[in-house]
Amino acid sequence: MTLLRAEAVTLGYGRRPVVHDVTLDITEGGVGLIGESGSGKTTLARAFLGLLTPISGNIWYGDQILKNADLRAFRKDVQPVFQAESLDPRMRVGRSVAEALPRNARHRVAELLEQVGLDPTLAARRPHELSGGQRQRVVIARALAVGPRLLILDEPTSALDVTVQARILDLLTGLDTERLLITHNLAVVERLCRTSYVLFAGRVVESGPTGDLLAKPAHPYTRALRDAVPKLGGPPPEARGRTEAVPAATGCAYRLRCPLAAPVCEQPPPLRELDGRHVACHRAQDVPVS
Amino acid sequence: MIEVRDLKVRYAGRTVADVPELDVGAGECVAIVGESGSGKSTTLLALLGLTEGAEVSGRVRVCGVDVLEAPPRELRRIRGARAALVLQSPQAALSPATRLGVLMRRALRLHGRDDGEPAMALAMEAVLLDPAILRRYPHEVSGGQAQRFAIALAIALGAEVILADEPTSALDVTVQAEVVGVLRRLRVERDLALLLVSHDLALVSTIADRVLVMKDGAVVESGPAARVLAEPAHPYTRELLEALP
Amino acid sequence: MTHHAPPLRRSLPRLLPDRFAAFGAVLIVLVVLAAVLAPWLAPYPLDEVRPLERLRPPSAEHWFGTDQVGRDVLTRILYGGRTSLFIAASVLAVSALAGVTLGVVAGYAGGWLRDVIMRVTDIFLAFPALLLSLALAVVLQPGVNTVILAIAVTWWPWYTRLSASVAASIATRPYVDAARCLGVPAPLIILRHVLPNSLTPVLVQLSLDAGGVILTAAALSYLGLGAQEPTAEWGLMVQQGQTLFTTNWWVVTFPGLAILLTAFAFNVLGEGLRGALDIRSGGARQERATQEPASAERPRP
Repeated sequence: MTLLRAEAVTLGYGRRPVVHDVTLDITEGGVGLIGESGSGKTTLARAFLGLLTPISGNIWYGDQILKNADLRAFRKDVQPVFQAESLDPRMRVGRSVAEALPRNARHRVAELLEQVGLDPTLAARRPHELSGGQRQRVVIARALAVGPRLLILDEPTSALDVTVQARILDLLTGLDTERLLITHNLAVVERLCRTSYVLFAGRVVESGPTGDLLAKPAHPYTRALRDAVPKLGGPPPEARGRTEAVPAATGCAYRLRCPLAAPVCEQPPPLRELDGRHVACHRAQDVPVS
Repeated sequence: MIEVRDLKVRYAGRTVADVPELDVGAGECVAIVGESGSGKSTTLLALLGLTEGAEVSGRVRVCGVDVLEAPPRELRRIRGARAALVLQSPQAALSPATRLGVLMRRALRLHGRDDGEPAMALAMEAVLLDPAILRRYPHEVSGGQAQRFAIALAIALGAEVILADEPTSALDVTVQAEVVGVLRRLRVERDLALLLVSHDLALVSTIADRVLVMKDGAVVESGPAARVLAEPAHPYTRELLEALP
Repeated sequence: MTHHAPPLRRSLPRLLPDRFAAFGAVLIVLVVLAAVLAPWLAPYPLDEVRPLERLRPPSAEHWFGTDQVGRDVLTRILYGGRTSLFIAASVLAVSALAGVTLGVVAGYAGGWLRDVIMRVTDIFLAFPALLLSLALAVVLQPGVNTVILAIAVTWWPWYTRLSASVAASIATRPYVDAARCLGVPAPLIILRHVLPNSLTPVLVQLSLDAGGVILTAAALSYLGLGAQEPTAEWGLMVQQGQTLFTTNWWVVTFPGLAILLTAFAFNVLGEGLRGALDIRSGGARQERATQEPASAERPRP
């Protein structure tokens, strides 16, 4: 059984839902959640962390519904790694790492800092006295302090320089935890996640093994995302469809942007199985392979 | 269009940017790559005389004007009109209570242009923006639209040089592709000189003719993009390339 | 790339070249020193009455002249500073303690708790501040303690409002979410994260407000509802000398100037602090956005 699972969750702030009917299993080998800003990926992460209760549907923690579960056990099992800016600016980073440790375990701070590749003497510094990469390592050390089984990583490297980013990714791949990685960076997902979900306008439009998804995307949006990523020495990135069109309120949300849109797209597309993955697109068969 | 020799920018005695040579001709695209603190943005600002409080030496010519010698009035005429600066988040630079159209009209008038409406329409078309956007306020448009508006503004004012500082790093990849597409097309159609500052080597490799790699204020390697990125000579360039995920 | 807050080294001079703020700070230090050292600085004993030397104009013996019962005006101004500063400090301490405590709880908790706290705050804000103070001062015995209570009652809601809006924005910061995910209990989150990070605008507001409190206290004394004779208090001195303004200007003018200068000094220091701290504290831009409306709509008493 998976540790954490979303079952048909609809999420939102106030009355307006921003995530619709998402079912997502955090399986072994890392799960990627890909989407652009406003796609609802961070909202989904907050629900997985128990910071937001679904409007409908359930988050399952083992065999219990999260809101009825033992929160103390849950907090020990599931920890977030937000961006480097998630450290209290006024608190010495050693105290931040120690925050969840019992009083008699404070000596573990040095251990944890070493585990993430930091000099333990940095514990006395405040966040602004560290580099972005060092801050991100502190954030990881803080999450590891409680010995979690699952890390929920929300854009853990996107604010960092590339060389620093590479080292943080090495650190994350070396950790002995399950992970849900939320990002817009496909290359990072490819490295860290066996399975991926692509989110558009709060809905899963495609999910399946990461390699397959990127090699032959079945949804036009997945394809647009992949082709937009510049590759070293490759052709200039291509914009497919109109990126500024707002998600459609009825039918397929992507249809106003989609180069393949047809009259049938005014009907909501069901999430169906195709080539070992799930895709929500009427015209998935017509998406060109390369 | 841009000609730099022995540019040195110092803050409080510390050299933060040292660029021996940098040339961008019409229709060319040159990229400065590097990580935070490498001096790449400082270099860009120095080209427009925008490094306040810094000690700048060397020779900098932009659109035929000696930036370090020219009187402020002449600099102001160059800035915006002939050499336009495009920043990472243009929304922050746009006055929030002014509609985009009003903003563009004012900018045109400020630079003594009286062909307002037709120039605006043409510029908006050049960046593939719906002219209806001119009636919106800055916070009512998306990041990609704001960035293309900033480029349209430069086009409307007749810019020959565009200096862009991380113009797409705050944008989603699909939007980034669109903005890059616009920049590439304008470069060809209008013979624009494009100086791009970026940390994204992959992006740079798809658009730039030449590349300068900066580290700690110094240029460690420069040359044709294809060569620098295929056979990097400097260890730091290699490190940057290996770091690509 | 990421933008870091400028290092202290670069932002400290931002406060210093602000000559107004520095001037305010120096002035406040002088006023406080004068008040503390009054027994040593004062040329005459506090209550020494010399009927024969009534209403003497400023001279070498009496720099600020003497009042209608022959007391040295300079001496009374020095001692009066003690009363005024004591009132200001007490009012601000009481209001900030009550206001900020309620405010950060409301801001962090949100929901019904926030609604209850903010509605109570609104009720207090609905009364015109000076009128409420006046009413209280009439009901209670006039005196320094009454002044403190009367002003504090009308002052604390401003701090609740300010700190609630700041705390609400702090509560959405990722480091607060991180603490919640670590299972840190809410009271500890407020104490460790929300409160310290909400204090900057409160400190600025305190400095801006000190002048206002001194003015209000002086106003209450002036109306006869505050400090009573023979307590030395600036407002009271102005009131008692007001009829003499045309004939013996010094009796009114010097205590009036003391009030004006002190209030002014706190204000410019507050403005200077606001400018400097806004730039220094990381992520202060949002804080500023939430803080400004609260202080802008505040009437100057």
